[in-house]
Amino acid sequence: MKTTKRTLLAGLLALGVASAVASPVFAQQRTEIQFWHALSGVLGERVDEIVKRFNASQDKYTVVATNKGNYDEVMNSTIAAYRAKKAPQIVQVSERGFMSILLSGAIVPVQDLMAEKKKQIDFGDFVKPVASYYQYKGKLMSMPFNSSTPILFYNKEQFEKAGFPNGPSEIYGEFDKQLYAIKSKGIAECGTSIANDYFWSMLENYSTVNDQPWGTRSNGYDGLDTEFVYNKSRVVGQVARLQKWINDGVALIAGQGLSPEQLFTSGKCATYFASTAAHGSIERDPKIKWGATYLPHEADLTARNSSIGGATLWVIKGHKSVEYDGVADFLAFVASPDLQLWWHKVTGYVPITNKAYQMAKAEGYYKDHPTREIAILQLNRGTPTANSQGFHFGNYIQSTFALREEMEAVFANKKTPQQGLDDAVRRGNDLLRQFEKLNAGKY
Amino acid sequence: MSTAGLKRAHYKEGWIPLLLLLPQLLVLLLFFFIPALRALSQSFVITDPFGGNFQFVWFDNFRALLASPEYRSSVGVTVWFTLAQNALTIFIALVFAFATDRVVRGRGLYRTVILLPYAIAPVIAGILWAFLFNPYVGPLAFVLKGMGIAWDPNRSGVDAFLLVTLAASWKHICYDYIFLVAALMAVPPSLLEAAAVDGAGPVLRFFKIALPMIGPTIFFLVAMNFVYGFFETFAIVDAVTHGGPGGATMILVYKVYIDGFVHINLGSSAAQSVLMMIFALALTVVQFRYVERNVNYDV
Repeated sequence: MKTTKRTLLAGLLALGVASAVASPVFAQQRTEIQFWHALSGVLGERVDEIVKRFNASQDKYTVVATNKGNYDEVMNSTIAAYRAKKAPQIVQVSERGFMSILLSGAIVPVQDLMAEKKKQIDFGDFVKPVASYYQYKGKLMSMPFNSSTPILFYNKEQFEKAGFPNGPSEIYGEFDKQLYAIKSKGIAECGTSIANDYFWSMLENYSTVNDQPWGTRSNGYDGLDTEFVYNKSRVVGQVARLQKWINDGVALIAGQGLSPEQLFTSGKCATYFASTAAHGSIERDPKIKWGATYLPHEADLTARNSSIGGATLWVIKGHKSVEYDGVADFLAFVASPDLQLWWHKVTGYVPITNKAYQMAKAEGYYKDHPTREIAILQLNRGTPTANSQGFHFGNYIQSTFALREEMEAVFANKKTPQQGLDDAVRRGNDLLRQFEKLNAGKY
Repeated sequence: MSTAGLKRAHYKEGWIPLLLLLPQLLVLLLFFFIPALRALSQSFVITDPFGGNFQFVWFDNFRALLASPEYRSSVGVTVWFTLAQNALTIFIALVFAFATDRVVRGRGLYRTVILLPYAIAPVIAGILWAFLFNPYVGPLAFVLKGMGIAWDPNRSGVDAFLLVTLAASWKHICYDYIFLVAALMAVPPSLLEAAAVDGAGPVLRFFKIALPMIGPTIFFLVAMNFVYGFFETFAIVDAVTHGGPGGATMILVYKVYIDGFVHINLGSSAAQSVLMMIFALALTVVQFRYVERNVNYDV
């Protein structure tokens, strides 16, 4: 018994000496940086590629990218990990979660971090609606990563057959007639397939393109006491239009187990309002001849910039300084024009800096891929107004859920468009008040 | 059987039974009492998801819930859903169990087929049903359309409700079936034979003799079905409708999940759990008080 104890002790001692001797080697080991994201499938592979390139480009840090499910799940894992003090250094959060994570007290503002680590990043060069969405008090809070905006995809052959060789009209009244013509002539079974994120592509962006207020206080930019007002704007008419389309079979809701994109790519529906990032999958498997164009707008209103969607990379606080050195290096790498150009081409997301955009233009990329430029032209259209700069609402993921529920009631003809929007606004405002109460004095 | 024998067979020292109960009590403490207490304490605060700050708000969370039309609608959906699911499950299971006695050839196969759904994970079952009844690609939806029935669970709340109820019942019929077959087998054949001799047909024998005798089993199953409908149909709702359209299938347990785990509104979610606990308790009391009275345990 005693001897075993002694050998054990000796062994431990030997181990201790060994590790002490070995430690200088260990010190040169790469610092690990955890990066949690929500991109899966092809996009997930692209993220892995970015990380691989970064890791190969230097020998101090190893970024480990982990897919933690969808945006909600990434956020929830991060919250759980943060509370257990095991949070990753970098987290990808969707645009809708901006206010929640901004005021969480759990983050390091990216622009501050980059300044502290002396990284040369031209923050003025970011595409305006991208930068304005993620700015707070004039500073960029997180690093833009995957940004998109909705555009209108359409079936070229079906539009030609119906006598519209120029494709969809940019004016809603005309566009409406086109869809009905395509349906009534039997050219396509339906006019448009409703995307899962229609609340973004067909409602929020309708509001920004047509310069309608979504909420008071400049869509929440000027204070937590903002209130939703989209039940008093032209959005009511847009919802009435959608309801009519659905009732007339001009628009289809794919529903569970079926992707709305399939309804478009199989030729069943003539158009599809979707993120420009859908390029990746639509291009890969083209069974139809398709084109893309700007989102339609109202005839009596000037078309403005559309609003972005997607996500940014947030830096979580509470880590070691050396890890933040690596985080800053990685974020600078992500924002570099070369990487942005590559990312833009392989995914369909917009380049987040004007420099990357100019590079794509200079090499003639848009001559071969004209539809890839629509998103960025649409984002850069005019100067962003208080209505089109973005949405800064607390608990916004929750109130979007409420809006979707109410829209479902409208599409089922259980509520009128006005009733549905009134109820969505009421529920959303309750959530805003709760957020205001909890974060009083923090914004 | 007299209870005197049972009463005499107890331990003299107080600590042995406690020791024997300890593992189970520990499990209950860890997985029931502590979470329940935490839910109770959390239901009185609103909190930032990251845990940065929280505010004590007394009964605000409860007040907001009871005032919200969405919560009331969810209660209504849950009541109708559990009732419909319960009635449907028991009825069909009873028909199958009754028929089992009359299947002469391939009884084993018949039983296996009925039991199969129990082995299927709820999520898979949900996706299966969602696909079968998808208005654009589902084969059964085409049959319905062929019959001239307008069917669209993506838009119509009633259709979605029916779909979830059917899927949930289908998944649980086998459970009820096993118990009912066993109960029916325990009915003394002598009684049935005597009735047959007196001229009672199979249906009359079932209603007058078998049914009253399996009363306790049915009562037990009703209680179990309520528990199932209340708490375990979550995965099916998640796979078939996500609680939609427009909250038409938003049962309470799914709402707790959405508000708590997806939207991280912990205060409201905890308050909902507490209300649900009270609701379930009340239901159990009512069941044992009023329904059990009519059940005869003396065989």
